[in-house]
Amino acid sequence: MALQPAAGAKDLNPKQVELNHQLSIRLAEVYKQWGYEEVAPPRVERMATLKAGGAISSKEIVRIVSDEALGLRPEMTASIARAACTRFGERPRPLRLWAAGTVFESKSTVDGALCIEESLHSGVELFGLKNVSAELELLSLLVKSISKLKLGVNNKTQILIGHTDILDLILTQFNQCDKDTIRKYLAEFDRLSIENSHLKTNEKKYLNKILDTRGKPDSVIEEIKSMFGESKCLQDIRRLFNYIEPLASSQSISIQFDPTFLPHFDLYQGFVFQVVCHHSTAPVVIARGGRYDEIVSRCGASGNDAAGVGFSFAIDSIRELIGNESQDQTGIEKVLVAYGPGVSLEEALNRQHQWHNKGVMAIVEVNCCKNKNMASEMMLNRNCSTLDWIDL
Amino acid sequence: MITVALAKGALLKDSVARFLKAGLDFTALLDPDNRQLMVPSSCGRARALLVRNGDVPVYVAYGQAQLGVVGYDVLREHQMPVAQLVDLGFGGCHLAVAVKATSGYRRASDLPPHCRVASKFTHCAKGFFEEIDLPVELVHLTGSVELGPITGMAEAIVDLVATGRTLKENGLVSIEELFHSTARLIGNPLSLRLDSGELQEIVEAVRDNDQLRKASS
Repeated sequence: MALQPAAGAKDLNPKQVELNHQLSIRLAEVYKQWGYEEVAPPRVERMATLKAGGAISSKEIVRIVSDEALGLRPEMTASIARAACTRFGERPRPLRLWAAGTVFESKSTVDGALCIEESLHSGVELFGLKNVSAELELLSLLVKSISKLKLGVNNKTQILIGHTDILDLILTQFNQCDKDTIRKYLAEFDRLSIENSHLKTNEKKYLNKILDTRGKPDSVIEEIKSMFGESKCLQDIRRLFNYIEPLASSQSISIQFDPTFLPHFDLYQGFVFQVVCHHSTAPVVIARGGRYDEIVSRCGASGNDAAGVGFSFAIDSIRELIGNESQDQTGIEKVLVAYGPGVSLEEALNRQHQWHNKGVMAIVEVNCCKNKNMASEMMLNRNCSTLDWIDL
Repeated sequence: MITVALAKGALLKDSVARFLKAGLDFTALLDPDNRQLMVPSSCGRARALLVRNGDVPVYVAYGQAQLGVVGYDVLREHQMPVAQLVDLGFGGCHLAVAVKATSGYRRASDLPPHCRVASKFTHCAKGFFEEIDLPVELVHLTGSVELGPITGMAEAIVDLVATGRTLKENGLVSIEELFHSTARLIGNPLSLRLDSGELQEIVEAVRDNDQLRKASS
C-alpha cells in the first residue's frame, strides 16, 4: 500500500483548500470590520497552558516528546488569553483579537490506536468586559459571521445556548457530593442514570422536568423564573435574547435556550453556545464559544480585566457542509495559453504575462499542441474557460 | 424526518411493537420478505434503519439516527456518547463469566492469573477483571464463544446468558454475573437538545406506554 497520512490528519485537495481559504477570508473580513486585530498564537504550547487549568483533559492533547511538557494546541483560546494578559496586558480594554489556524485533538480509534484530528479554526476573543455587553457584541458578531458564510437554504442553522449559572441554580438544592454526578447526568442527557440513582423520587421528578426544559428563550426564561424567581443572571439572559433573537431570526437562524447544555471542553463559566447546522442527515456543529473568565484570571488578569468571551468556527466542518454548493467556479475566467508548431514556449509565457497584467488567471500548456483542436481539448482537461491559441 | 436505528435479531419484534404503540409503524420490517434496510413508517414522518446490534449506538452517536433501540450490554461495551432514555425491559439477559462445568472453578477469582478468557465483550471483560485484580489474557471472538473452553483455547468465557440453555448444552456453567442487560431507548444528545418537540413526543409516548406496562404487570 502507498504511504498514507497519519490517522485523522487532513490531506486536502486544491478545491478544498480554496474553499477553506474563501471561508476564512469571509470571516476575517467581518472580524476586521468589527475592529478585531489578528494574532497568531503558537501551535506548540506548554501543557500547563493547553490544559487551561484542568478544563481540557491531557488525554485530548497531542503531546510532543521533549524534556519539557509540550503539546499541540487543541484550541486557541488559552494561548490568546495568555497573550492578552502578558504581551497585551497594558493595552486598553476591551481588547478585541482574532486568530485562524490549525488545532489538533488527540482521539482513540476503535482499535485503540492514536488518531490526531487536525482541523482549521477561525475565531475571535473579546477581553475585559465583565458584564453582558460582551455577550451582546459577541453574539451579534457571531450572527453576522454566520450570515457571511452563505450556508445555503438547505442548512437550517440553530444556536444552542446554555448558561452555567442557571445550571448551578438548578443544582443548588443538592449536596456537593451529588452535584458533580448530577451535572454529568444532565450534561450527557442520561435520563436512565437519574432514574437509577439513589436520589429521592421528588428529586428525580424535578431533574426529569429540568431535562425537558428547553426551547424558545422567552418560554424557558419564564419557566426558570417560575421555579427559582427573578435574578440578575436571568435579567442578563433576557436582555441578551431580546436583542439577539430578532437579529438571528432576520438571518433565518433560530435560537434554542437549553439550561442543561454544557460543551465538551470545560472552558466556560456563564454563557456557552454551539452553532449547529442541520445537514440533510445529521446535525453538524460549526462553531462553539462562551465566557471563560477563569482562564483569563489564571493567566494573571485581575478585577474587571479578568474577563473573556469568544467563539471559534470549525472551517473544515463548514466546508464539508456546504460542499459542492460553493465549489462552483463558473464565472471565473481561466485562460489556457497554448501554442502550435513553430511557436516557442517563451512566446507563450510572454502572452501569459499579458493576461496576468490584465488580472486574469492564465496557465500555459507547456508542451506544443499539434493543432487548435488538440489545444481546445487541453483547455477542457485543464478546467479553463478560454483558449488563447498562438499559431504561426 | 425522524430516523430510528433498530437492531436486527432478537430485539426487533419488541422494538417495532413499542414504536407502534408510540405511533410509529415499522411493521414492514417484520415481513420475512422484506430486504430493505431503510423503511419509512406508515405515517411518513419517520423512517427506520435496520442495522446490526453493535451499530445502533454508532448511528445514533453520529446523529444519522436520532433514536435507537439497543441492549445495555452493547452500550456498556461500545461506550458511545448517546443519551439513555428509557429502559424498555425486554431482551433481558446477563453478561456472565462461564467455565467448563467440570473445571471446579466456582468464582471468577478462582481462575488462575494470566489465564485466557474468550469474549465478544472484551471491553466489559477487561473492566471486570481489573476490578477483581485478576490479570487475564483476553481473546476476542465474534461468535460461538462457548467453543473457547470446549476446545481448550480458553479457561473461561464472558458472554451473554439469557436462559442458560446454550451453556448447559455445551457443558459450561455460569460462575459470576457482570451485569443485567435489557433493551434501552437511546437518543442522539445534540438532536434531543435541538428538538422542537417531535422527538420528545415519541420518547414520552414510549416511556408512558412502558410505565403502563410495568404497572399492569
